[in-house]
Amino acid sequence: MERNVAMNWLQELARRLKMLIHRRQFDAYLKEEMRLHLDLLQEEKLKFGVNAAYAKVAARRQFGNETALLEKSHLALGWEWLENLLQDANYGVRAMLRSPGITVVALLSLALGIGANTAIFSLIDAVMLRSLPVKDPSRLVLFGNGLDWGISDGFPNTLLYSYPFYREVQKRNQVFSEVAAAFSMPDRVHGFVEGQSEAEAMNVQLVSGTYFPLLGVEAVLGRTLSEEDDQTEGGPPVAMISYAWWAGSLARDPAVLNRKLKIGPTIFSIVGVAPPEFFGTKVGESPDIWIPLSLQKEIPPGWNGYDDQMFESLHLMARLKPGVTITEANANANLLFQQILRGFSKAPLSQENLNKLDKTHVDLNSMATGFSRLRWQFSEPLKVLMVVVGLVLLIACANIANLLLVRSTARARELAIRQALGAGRARLIRQLLTESLVLALTGGALGILFASVASRFLVRIISGHRNTLRLDTPIDTHLLVFSLGVTLATALLFGALPAFRATGFHLSGSLKDGRGQGSSSSKGRLARALVVSQVALSLVLLVGAGLFVRSLMNLIHIDTGFNKENVIRMHIDASSAGYPEDDRLMRMYRAVEDRVRSLPGVRAASFAGFTFNEGTWNNSIWVQGYLDGHRDQDVHHNAVGTGYFTAMGIPILAGRPFGPEDTTNSPKVGVIGETMARTMFPSGSPLGRHYGRGGPEHADDIEVIGVAKDVKYNSLDEDQQPGDYLPYSQNPRYLDDFAVRHSGDSATIASAVRQAIHEVDPALPVSEVMTMDQVVTGSIINQRLVAQLSGFFGVLALFLTCIGIYGLMSYTVARRTSEIGLRMALGAERSNVVWLVVRESLWLVGLGLAIGVPAALAGNQLVASMLYGLRANDSLSLVAGVGLLLAVAALAGYLPARRASLVDPMGSLRYE
Amino acid sequence: MKTLARSGELHGFEIAHSIQSSSQGVLQIEEGSLYPALQRMLIKGWVTARWGTTAGNRRARYYQLTAAGRKQLVMEMSQFERVIGAIARVIEAN
Repeated sequence: MERNVAMNWLQELARRLKMLIHRRQFDAYLKEEMRLHLDLLQEEKLKFGVNAAYAKVAARRQFGNETALLEKSHLALGWEWLENLLQDANYGVRAMLRSPGITVVALLSLALGIGANTAIFSLIDAVMLRSLPVKDPSRLVLFGNGLDWGISDGFPNTLLYSYPFYREVQKRNQVFSEVAAAFSMPDRVHGFVEGQSEAEAMNVQLVSGTYFPLLGVEAVLGRTLSEEDDQTEGGPPVAMISYAWWAGSLARDPAVLNRKLKIGPTIFSIVGVAPPEFFGTKVGESPDIWIPLSLQKEIPPGWNGYDDQMFESLHLMARLKPGVTITEANANANLLFQQILRGFSKAPLSQENLNKLDKTHVDLNSMATGFSRLRWQFSEPLKVLMVVVGLVLLIACANIANLLLVRSTARARELAIRQALGAGRARLIRQLLTESLVLALTGGALGILFASVASRFLVRIISGHRNTLRLDTPIDTHLLVFSLGVTLATALLFGALPAFRATGFHLSGSLKDGRGQGSSSSKGRLARALVVSQVALSLVLLVGAGLFVRSLMNLIHIDTGFNKENVIRMHIDASSAGYPEDDRLMRMYRAVEDRVRSLPGVRAASFAGFTFNEGTWNNSIWVQGYLDGHRDQDVHHNAVGTGYFTAMGIPILAGRPFGPEDTTNSPKVGVIGETMARTMFPSGSPLGRHYGRGGPEHADDIEVIGVAKDVKYNSLDEDQQPGDYLPYSQNPRYLDDFAVRHSGDSATIASAVRQAIHEVDPALPVSEVMTMDQVVTGSIINQRLVAQLSGFFGVLALFLTCIGIYGLMSYTVARRTSEIGLRMALGAERSNVVWLVVRESLWLVGLGLAIGVPAALAGNQLVASMLYGLRANDSLSLVAGVGLLLAVAALAGYLPARRASLVDPMGSLRYE
Repeated sequence: MKTLARSGELHGFEIAHSIQSSSQGVLQIEEGSLYPALQRMLIKGWVTARWGTTAGNRRARYYQLTAAGRKQLVMEMSQFERVIGAIARVIEAN
């Protein structure tokens, strides 16, 4: 029965739709039928012998009103609401075209408002909300928070895990249906697609064989990596590639499964292609190639952690067994964590460490949306920006509401006539709202267009100096639903008040006077309230923007310790080029340095482990003579060439930098930073004193030969940290960075340097060539992003408010023309009139500021943690915001005021 | 509907006439109001329509009752009879 009813209903709907589509035919048929009926009636009458004219009238009388019947038949179709809607929409479009000035301003502010909201939301969606494109992501958990990355031997470590630990968890747990591991950082190597001579940068992700089965991701071509690929160290060299990489580097070769990759010395077979939507498990890092962890030694730089219990380098993820809660899983994971670590023969199980282990807990976290440093880094700025663009949209809404209000005043007469002719108030409100909707939808469509450009631009800003971030921000249903929601809310917000206001008048009053004096005072009050709220919101935005800009200025003016001007920095991937970590590598480094230094325009060149914002190499050091007092002091190390201090412009404050005399066989030396000198060699000069790393027995390994100025390591706002420099000649290891101090144009020098490097060895891959200035700028992209965007939106808000004030004042002046005329006729000076109007606008702004100042102060507290070098109640930002608004308000009020002062008293009085 | 049930296929004029003659002129309706009602029934699926030719060789739309229409008719008739019966009883009681 139920089904029958539903079926009937569906069939009926189908018939209704069919008739709607064939409406012309429907009408034509009906008309023809009626005509026939009339004709037949008429013939019948004629048979009774009446005259033709009478027959016609009689037939009509008997039949009824044809037009009314036709309309009634239309009602039977049940589509009149749609017809009304289309009619209203059509009317709305015409109304928009009738006042193009208002329309353009409204559409522009809507497009910017909705577009900005959509763009920021698309980033929030990509970084924070979107689920991993895998099977049942809500059942996936991550050990730890996934924020740490690299290789560690810390004990106990709850963020990074060793491969043997992964295997133990997999074997012994009772709560997971599957466990998988992935290397905690992507391995950027340079390899070859077999048959091609040019080395290509590849983002390799090492994963356990269970990785793809755990996620439930299927290959679109071939197969995924499996447990069999990850059985024995150095096992079959297989690789799975991403869809994007297949489409790009392999040009969608359908025979991809026969292709090979040469990475380092090893040749890998491609066994499968991942689906296009799968970007890995870390948001923002899309690997090109997945390789089993069993092959970690086979690709540069040749990590050796497959059976090392303390080579902690993996992120561990698992799928909960059906019915197991995350709390239950957590309990089991912690039990295993304790048992497994205590059972490791290589674990440093000193009493102290065991005490630490007792207090350590593993946290399982949901992996439903993946994990990411990106989220940690950008979620706060993105939330702030979301609020900012939301406020801008509110201001835009207030503006449009005001414009519509003014327009509805102009239309008061029209609406009154329509009501007098019998249009219902509900019908009129519906029509006005439809008009707002048309406006909002047009603005929304423009906004989405704007957003698709803006979000790509935002992704580029966020990527900063790194390779363009692999972040997808497609215009998808998620986003469209969001924008549509925002658009509808906007239409209601700016449309509802004027619509209710415009239709709620006293009929006779409005008909008598087109200008609607009766309701204008309440209308004016509403418009004023809107402007006041605009001012308040703008102040919040402006002051916030002021804070962010000032914070950014503080950051920019921080002394980095090195001279970032006239330095270029590049990455040279010696491990991919096949150099072993020994003398040959050092000889190549020296050859490259010498060759580059001889270039015209180059003043110094040096390899280094790190420059700035690239991570650090930390170790504990022991200082000679302070065995107990200075153990376990964490120090940033850097291995550098002899020219490093000149190349980076780091002043040597005492002693000497490294020179050719510091060789493999000479006594080990080090240059230390000021902070290290101060904290670890507190008494007397550190020169000639000794320290070492690796244990107290090494405390006299390294002699201090110089003290260098402190530098920033990872970020501009970090506290000064202790660090030292060691000559690479005495510390052979891969050094990825190459710094060159030059004079003249950096681009020219960069290509000359690249050429010089390739003269030494054409196989050396050179990448990420940047000036140090760009590197430093790149390290504060999120502060820059927030400052620039909040600044932009602050100015936009100011502009919109300005329009709001201007519009209101123009309206006031227009309405008070006769009053002003009268005043002038009675002897008021022009300046008095100007002041009369400006005073009103200043009064409004004053009121807005009175509300806005406390609101801004409260809002600022929320962003205090994002500021550097100033407090949230920074008075300069506040004063600047207030001043700016007052100035703009005075200007926006002055223009209409001037117009008012030019009123011709006689003319205006006569008009009345 | 009743008319259609009795006579099979009719066009609008015939229906109107049939109603008038069977009510012996008591029911004087505006004949045109037949058409909105017919459109409603078309949508409900109670009648179908097809084009044919009249005796006077003119194109006309002929309506025919469907199975669903017949069912509806039975339902409405019984409903109607109940109402009529009730009214009659009320009148007789007085």
